[in-house]
Amino acid sequence: MTNLIRTEWLKMKGYPAFWWILGITALAYPAINYGFFKAFEDLSNNPTEAAQMAKMLIGNPFSFPEAWHTVAFASSLFTFIPAVVVIMFISNEYTYRTHRQNIIDGWSRSQFVTSKLIDVLIISLIITALYFSIALVTGINNQERLIKNTWGQSYYIGLFALQTFAQLSIAFLYGFLIRKAFLALGIFLFQYMILENILVAYLNVKSHDEGRFLPIEMSDRLIPRPAFMARLNPERYKTLIDAIPQHVVMTVIFTGVIWAFCYWMNKRRDLK
Amino acid sequence: MSVVLSIDNLSKSYGPVKALRGVSFDVPQGSVFGILGPNGSGKTTLLGIVMDVLRANNGQFLWFGQPGTSPQLRKKIGSLLETPNFYSYLSGISNLKITQSISGRGNKKDIEDVLKKVKLFDRRFSSFKTFSLGMKQRLAIASALLGNPKVLVLDEPTNGLDPVGIAEIRELIIELKEKGHTVIMASHLLDEVEKVCTHAAILKTGELIATGPVDEILMDEDIVELNAANKQQLAALLTRLSSNIQIDEKAGTVQIVFPKGTANLENINRFCFENGITLSQLILKKKRLEARFFELTNN
Repeated sequence: MTNLIRTEWLKMKGYPAFWWILGITALAYPAINYGFFKAFEDLSNNPTEAAQMAKMLIGNPFSFPEAWHTVAFASSLFTFIPAVVVIMFISNEYTYRTHRQNIIDGWSRSQFVTSKLIDVLIISLIITALYFSIALVTGINNQERLIKNTWGQSYYIGLFALQTFAQLSIAFLYGFLIRKAFLALGIFLFQYMILENILVAYLNVKSHDEGRFLPIEMSDRLIPRPAFMARLNPERYKTLIDAIPQHVVMTVIFTGVIWAFCYWMNKRRDLK
Repeated sequence: MSVVLSIDNLSKSYGPVKALRGVSFDVPQGSVFGILGPNGSGKTTLLGIVMDVLRANNGQFLWFGQPGTSPQLRKKIGSLLETPNFYSYLSGISNLKITQSISGRGNKKDIEDVLKKVKLFDRRFSSFKTFSLGMKQRLAIASALLGNPKVLVLDEPTNGLDPVGIAEIRELIIELKEKGHTVIMASHLLDEVEKVCTHAAILKTGELIATGPVDEILMDEDIVELNAANKQQLAALLTRLSSNIQIDEKAGTVQIVFPKGTANLENINRFCFENGITLSQLILKKKRLEARFFELTNN
């Protein structure tokens, strides 16, 4: 395992796109959270009666413990940025034909897939660490009274990590199967931003919310819209919160199936 | 002589195309084993199967008597398969660090040594994408040589090299053979193979058409080349030994052909002398590999 991590690190550290995308992510995640916060702050400072009523209704979503949830939700909107680097990492192996060379040099086919699993795990951990830092700083800065229940909703750290890993695993699967970075990325973004949103909305209206079983939506529902955004429909919010454990199980199983398929496929096919 | 690689009845199809049809042969330890064949004859497919990047449809292979290739075994084999495969954004030295990390062959000093051996040391920090075709090939050879493996699998090792580079690789392979390494080499450069290989297998459209020591493959029949003051008289006399006699006007010699392994130079010399002809030349002649290859592949 140490050998796999060391080798992947050698590949990663010299890859400029990895550092660029990491930099963009490090800017985008705080930026989106700051955007949310600024909107809330503008509302708080608005002296009109309606605005003050709204403020009373939503409380402060950026103070603990709600900050863990709010920041997780805002950050999760940008999972497509690290997805770019995940797709690049696997498609590079096909472009340079190093997926063959790594095996020729002495890895087993399973070790090759494990090395990519490590990549996805490392990127998920980096993204989670970034989210954790932003949530911590946001929560501390917005604490209006003595801190208590700081870690009350800190289970969102785990949910965020699982969601990120699950969605990056889907991105990996596209890169693994399609092999061409731009095509894989295009299909992933189409599904992530357009297709599933349309299908979820359609199935919500026309059916019994079967959209929750769609690959990305399944893990999206690990982090529902924060309470302040859902207070206009508390019943729906409660349903979504209650469904989180079910989505944890579904996401873990689905992500497990993705990786099991990749191991099986790589063992079986010719490495051309 | 023990066997490094034993191939038994290997077959491989790509859809309707049969790339290998029941190929079997053994690679003896310490040999330089050439796998020859025209384009599309299955050389690279064969090497891809024994290096575990392609799956055979039938048959099996044994490395050192063990079926298939375990990762542990592949780590001990230095390989260059088809094209140099490296991360284009990384430098030459960083790419070799990855090879070292995966295979466990060699150390930091060995990496520098192989880069010097293939004359890339001065460009070790340049990224792979800036290398010329020949330099890429040299890096792939450096990668195969890393850690001094006892077995090397080289697919067209002189691809993209200039004449000096080709001669250097030839010397390198001879040096490896002298040190007891086994080299399995696919090539269509017959002159190169003839110069360095001890054994060979010839493939044609996926079928094995000849295998064994190079000398045996080349000598499908015994051709004896003779010369004397009177060639016509010599040729007439030799008709009593064989009906297959030719006078090579260009070379100025008489050639007599016997079934493989039956020519006895001592008897021929005595026969001519007792019949009043003194020979000025008497040699058992080998065919050129190129000629034999064309014969075998019907090209």
